[in-house]
Amino acid sequence: MAETETELDVFFAAARHEPMPQALADRMVTDALEVQAGRAAAGAIVPRGPGIWAQLRGALGGWAGMGGLATACATGLWIGLAPPAFLPDPVQLVYGSQEDGEPFGGFDLAGLLVEEN
Amino acid sequence: MRSDTDAARGGSSAAGAPGDEALLVRFADGDAEAARVLTGRLGPRAYSVAMRVLGNRAEAEDVAQEAMMRLWRMAPEWQQGQARVSTWLYRVVLNLCLDVKRRRRTVHLEAVPEPLDESRSAAERMQEAARIDALQAALMALPERQRQAVVLRHIEELPNPEIAGIMAISVEAVESLTARGKRALSRALQERREELGYSDG
Repeated sequence: MAETETELDVFFAAARHEPMPQALADRMVTDALEVQAGRAAAGAIVPRGPGIWAQLRGALGGWAGMGGLATACATGLWIGLAPPAFLPDPVQLVYGSQEDGEPFGGFDLAGLLVEEN
Repeated sequence: MRSDTDAARGGSSAAGAPGDEALLVRFADGDAEAARVLTGRLGPRAYSVAMRVLGNRAEAEDVAQEAMMRLWRMAPEWQQGQARVSTWLYRVVLNLCLDVKRRRRTVHLEAVPEPLDESRSAAERMQEAARIDALQAALMALPERQRQAVVLRHIEELPNPEIAGIMAISVEAVESLTARGKRALSRALQERREELGYSDG
């Protein structure tokens, strides 16, 4: 039986070499594209537009623009957190000195209370 | 031999290539490249089965093209996970083969020669062509269901459970059909042993 199996396998292996004619493959693809075109013409296929992230990326100048924007953001954040010595401290600029920051530093609250009485 | 296509039958393959089902969805969404890839994967299998079941090249081409056309038309309605795309296609091919055989009156082998494989010597090609012709003649002498089962099992190299799904029979019935078919083939080919030289492996 083993010998018969081997003998038959030789035939089966030969039959597996059957190549598909290229012209048939071309006709199959042509059919496929015609079916797609028909469905598209009937409105059954809606071309997909770019997604929201793709649109945003395009608006910012592609990946190069996105990279530049990210670099600028990171640089700005770094300067804000650790400003170079030749630049004024942004916290000082916003809030001023510790003395200047006292809301009632130059005001005599006790005197105000006396006047009301 | 089928390992590349076996991997590609499902939703995705081990190598990361999209599976037949994913490609069919992409085709339905208008992806032309998906049509070309599916044709390359499934077209030869449809043609091979039709060729071995019908024994006629022109009819096999018509059947394979029609089966693929039905695949293209069915793509938008394909329900993912319902079956393998290849299983569906094999079933369509076998049904179309039955339709062809019902229409024609006589079974005949076409005289068009097999395509030449230039990598082999003339003697090897002649011997292989003789083997294919002998096998085809023996296949055509089998009952229809035996021939279908033998072609799917031993030429397409499909597993028995998939053949059972394609032919809508039990695995045991597939095993019975292929066993009987192989015995009949062996008997038919035994007489041509010397001529075909199939003891050289």
